[in-house]
Amino acid sequence: MGEGLVVRPLVYLHPAGGVRPTRVLEKLKPHQPVFPGFDGTPTVAGLNSRKALGKWVGEYIEREIGKPCDVMGCSFGGAVALWLAIQRPELVDHLVLECPAGLQTIDAKLRADPAEFRKALFVHPEKALPVSKTKEVEAENRRMLSHYGAEDGKDQDLLQHLEAIKHRALILHGTEDRIIGRESVQLLKSRLAKSFLVYVWDAAHNIEVDQPERMLELVEGFLERSEAFVVNRAG
Amino acid sequence: MKFSFFHLMPYTDAAASADWPVPNRGFDAEKAHGYYRGYLDAMIHAEDCGFDWVGCNEHHFSPYGLMANCNVIGGALAYATKRIRIAMMGNLVPLNNPVRIAEEYAMLDCISGGRLVAGLMRGIPHEYIAYHINPDESWSRQREAIELILRCWTEPEPFGWQGEHFSFPQISIWPKPLQKPHPPLVISASSIESARFAGEMRATMGMVLISDLAMAKECVAVYREAARKAGWEPKPENILIGMHTVIADTDQQAIAALREAKKYFDQVLMGGPRTAGRLVLQKSRYYQEAANAERMRDRLAKREAATLEQQIEGGMIFCGSPESVVKQIRRVHGELGNGVFNFTMKVGNLPDAVVRRGMELFRDRVHPEVAGLGDG
Repeated sequence: MGEGLVVRPLVYLHPAGGVRPTRVLEKLKPHQPVFPGFDGTPTVAGLNSRKALGKWVGEYIEREIGKPCDVMGCSFGGAVALWLAIQRPELVDHLVLECPAGLQTIDAKLRADPAEFRKALFVHPEKALPVSKTKEVEAENRRMLSHYGAEDGKDQDLLQHLEAIKHRALILHGTEDRIIGRESVQLLKSRLAKSFLVYVWDAAHNIEVDQPERMLELVEGFLERSEAFVVNRAG
Repeated sequence: MKFSFFHLMPYTDAAASADWPVPNRGFDAEKAHGYYRGYLDAMIHAEDCGFDWVGCNEHHFSPYGLMANCNVIGGALAYATKRIRIAMMGNLVPLNNPVRIAEEYAMLDCISGGRLVAGLMRGIPHEYIAYHINPDESWSRQREAIELILRCWTEPEPFGWQGEHFSFPQISIWPKPLQKPHPPLVISASSIESARFAGEMRATMGMVLISDLAMAKECVAVYREAARKAGWEPKPENILIGMHTVIADTDQQAIAALREAKKYFDQVLMGGPRTAGRLVLQKSRYYQEAANAERMRDRLAKREAATLEQQIEGGMIFCGSPESVVKQIRRVHGELGNGVFNFTMKVGNLPDAVVRRGMELFRDRVHPEVAGLGDG
């Protein structure tokens, strides 16, 4: 557990849908803490922002792993990963930010229409692995967005602190993502000094489901070879 | 109405051959030197003859066209001209490195002071044999490559691309284009599926080898509908119609000259490509839908079966005296509502002196009559 192909432990911070199996996670085998209140877990008094969750993840790493980790955050989890890197930089080695939230407001019309929102998650929903969560758990997970003050997506406080992050970061964005806009990842790329933005063709918001092979190639290359992932080592 | 002077740069002294690739054992580089100089002179002269665009495109492995990389010609034109738009129509996007296309087009746009028209073509079938690219992939490569090219031009920061056909860990082109957000696009749209794609991509549609005006009108309608669905309304200048065009002092002179030149075009220049095209179309999904392949076959068969007079009458080519060509231009424009005509005036081995005379007649007696078409 927690020791995939890469040398350092990897922590995966889940999106607002909670923990879900994907082929990417099956291969990477990361540590997957469940944020309080998600997937049937109890909330924690006073823990009600993405910033606070970032601190909470830091405590998790200290307690469960005890050394710096690579951290991968997806959407809501991407914003938490950024807060972790800002507040506990010594616990983070490389960052992977998969269509991270927190930088811009999410289209309210899309958010208000659950069916349309689900459609916006995938280009290839047929590739998704089965998930066994009750409707109540799914509904409670959705409620956690407002609990953590993340309903409209944007975190102004986070924006003001981004430039403090000096870690090497890989930012991934699906070319068909309608939930997190392209401007959002462009903004993030411009604020993170040591970041690499890569677009994944034919993927929507959930890149892990739509293009697992392409994503794995990128993530494993980046975590194993750092900025040298840009060098072609095929053959 | 805008007019484009387009050149295929044919090799005009080749022996007839239906082989593919066309054997190059008889190729004479000294002659090619003369062709390039003469063709470039004509293209530069187009600026003085009232043309708005000067264009060329990419072809491989035959005397049909001597531009394996038309951007080389584009560079010469960009430097030697002042006003005319440099229309690359264009690079064959699925066959090439999209980043390289983005770079070279950006160079042309900067060199020309923002005069590039960026043609992003899928290519005619035989080119897929030349570069050993699976024709079944032509559409998926085209879609992905165009999206990547647009991002090369418009992304504000370095970025990477992880795709089906193309992967680049990090891209940051120097230069970027002068025109913002990017140069105007032209995408070939001679079939229903390509017309739809051009509309979706907010590009000017380019139609060539028209076999009948009704079919061309259908492509225009599909293009307009696709554009509306994509949230924009094409203007006349977004519809480009390509025509073989021969203008001479009299109808008889024009028809006689074209009749001779077309023999060379049909029998020599089209020989190898026709063979290769047949191989591709019978064994691939170059056309996504069978109906489109059928339609293309019909179109080419119709053109080949028609006499010169029938082609003129059917709006497939422009040929005649200045007065006749003015009428022909008005008629096609009236049917299709286009705002750009793309003239191929060097048809087959038509003598360069005839082409020059045609350009002057266009300047003096055709352009003044039709420049205002579509202005209201």
